[in-house]
Amino acid sequence: MNVTHPRPRAARTPARTAALAAALAAVLLAGTACSSKADGGSTGDAADGVRTGPGVGEKTIRLGALTDLTGPYATLGKSIVQAQQMWADETNAAGGICGRRVEIVVKDHGYDVQKAVTAYADIAPDVVALPQVIGSPVVSALLDDIERDHMLTFPQAWAASLLGRDSVQVLGTTYDIDMIAAVDFLTRTKKLAKGDTIGHVYFEGDYGANALEGSEWAAEQAGMKIAGQKIKATDTDLTAQVAALSKAGAKAILISAGPAQTASLAGVAAARGLKVPIVTSAPGYAPQLLKTPAAAALEAMVHVVSAAPAVSSDLPGVKKMAASYQKAYPGEPVDSGVLSGYNAAQLIGTDLKKACQGGSLARQDVVKAHRSQKDADTGLGTPQDFTYVTAPASRSTYVLKPDAKALGGLAGVEDAHEPAGVDAYLAGRG
Amino acid sequence: MTGFLDSLFNGLALGSVYALIALGFVTVFKASGVLSFTHGSLLLLGGYLVAVLHDDLGFAGALALAVLVTAAAAGVLDRLVLQRVGGSDPHAAHVQTIVTIGVDIVLVTDLARRIGGDLLPLGDPWGSAVSDLGPVTVADSRVAAILVSAAAIGGAFALFRFTPWGLALRAAAEDREAAALMGVRLTRVRTAAWCLAGGLAALAAVFLVAFPAPGLERTTGQLALKAFPAAILGGMASPVGALVGSLLIGLTEAFVAGYQTDLHVLGEGFGDVAPYAVMVLVLLVRPAGLFAAKGAVRV
Repeated sequence: MNVTHPRPRAARTPARTAALAAALAAVLLAGTACSSKADGGSTGDAADGVRTGPGVGEKTIRLGALTDLTGPYATLGKSIVQAQQMWADETNAAGGICGRRVEIVVKDHGYDVQKAVTAYADIAPDVVALPQVIGSPVVSALLDDIERDHMLTFPQAWAASLLGRDSVQVLGTTYDIDMIAAVDFLTRTKKLAKGDTIGHVYFEGDYGANALEGSEWAAEQAGMKIAGQKIKATDTDLTAQVAALSKAGAKAILISAGPAQTASLAGVAAARGLKVPIVTSAPGYAPQLLKTPAAAALEAMVHVVSAAPAVSSDLPGVKKMAASYQKAYPGEPVDSGVLSGYNAAQLIGTDLKKACQGGSLARQDVVKAHRSQKDADTGLGTPQDFTYVTAPASRSTYVLKPDAKALGGLAGVEDAHEPAGVDAYLAGRG
Repeated sequence: MTGFLDSLFNGLALGSVYALIALGFVTVFKASGVLSFTHGSLLLLGGYLVAVLHDDLGFAGALALAVLVTAAAAGVLDRLVLQRVGGSDPHAAHVQTIVTIGVDIVLVTDLARRIGGDLLPLGDPWGSAVSDLGPVTVADSRVAAILVSAAAIGGAFALFRFTPWGLALRAAAEDREAAALMGVRLTRVRTAAWCLAGGLAALAAVFLVAFPAPGLERTTGQLALKAFPAAILGGMASPVGALVGSLLIGLTEAFVAGYQTDLHVLGEGFGDVAPYAVMVLVLLVRPAGLFAAKGAVRV
């Protein structure tokens, strides 16, 4: 019989313990060395006297984009990448920023959180800021890293749960504010009154939950009731939801989901004679919907609440951008992603210029420069206030409407304004 | 009452489309013992072909071609890949099942890349038209889904019952070795089963993405997984079970979503879980499924 005896403990000699301790210390040291690098510790002064940090060299400023070019938001990702590249080209043609050329390093994560985390680790040491990160789950997973690295980040996601971090800037309004604006729009223009029921179809997760917070608050203020219908991203046939909302006597429907769900909702509601107003926010609409069988219903029933104006807007800044984009990328759709991507890039540009004037392009100082802007106006919509870390950068929303003839498939209905009650809502949320 | 009839009709329509998919699962399982995880991607392939071809060939032509191509793709997959995997290993079917997962990932990734973020209309003749059936308004595409599914399923059942291939399929499912000894060509039988499953999946794709759904998306293939509980609760090797199971799942989904507000106790979004909850409940009562194959006797 073969019995293995445990090794006597005396085998661990003092010499071995010392070696182990040394190895452990080496690992720990290596660990701190890594984190101090990622921390923006490799700062120094360039020849022109500007303090530099990761992503900033003598001649270049490097920005990063964690985008989705192969996943569910591929269309959005492509629009943003191209719009930001166009901005970089324009900026470089005009002499760059702080005497340096701007470069954008694009990484595709295909809406896969694991891939995004790897991609972040890959580019983080070499970029100064991230003007594009697509996807709420991606941003949530990276929040701590971003905050540790002082990496100024503009997520393409608008959940209120992303507020409160110094380095993360949600641009425009959050989903809850959009829905408060939607309820406000319905009561003002669609004769909804006390006692009425509003349906709200929403995605599970941050997006839907945050939107529902807003709609429930606004409905309660107006003495109305919300009938919620929670759905998943794979639910593209909303017949059952419409049947339920019709049974609940909904006088209007809000939807916080993807474009496919909005199309189904409008199509089904119109088909069964439920002619009620439908309001969604920017992520719930795409110009491609106007090629589906639901196009007529969308044009007749749907409104879109958005912090950004329509691409077809008469604002000089927007007109100029749309014209340049069509020239740079002929035949490509000019959708809301183009506008939001370009806007984000311009804001990063302003931050970098401001940081340069302050004499430092180190990450912390770029964040500081960003947070000092109280009235940032790119001419592409309403001015934004970045000084409050816990509040949305803007409270004003536009009301838009699907229109096959308009550029980007949306036409303006109401100009930007602050919906009633937003102040009270934000004060209550603390 | 309208709400009830609405949910009932909706559930029947959903169920009949799921039945097309579940019948494919069951046929393949009967013939080859393989659980086909490629069904989602075959469905997506069928839908994608209709979407890109309908402009040139018209809807009917595109659909016919898509059904043929998808059937052929499923047949080729079986003949050239699966049948050569595992050899005479008694667990060959399990290995082949795993292979279908791999094939599914490859096919879905490629199709998803082609589709991108688009929403592709299939150009079906029903559009967003609706009809009044008594007190309820129903989409014409839904009526078509029920009629076409019924015809296709009836046809498949006739194949099982009245053709030599059907007899061979049933014999093979009963006892593979004995069937082979009796001169049944197992490889042909199973390849034909795969072809049938592929064709049915392509047909199902059309009705899954037609109005009230907005069009074909990269994620459409995942809808095929909804037919899995249907096939399992019906008893994996029973076509009748697949049909009944599908209707049960379709009705459950429609009723739970239609009465979501009254089911608050169960939590929001219970509709997503409901099909699986029903599956578990049924299996608790009848562990071998509703219509278990006679051979599956517990000892």
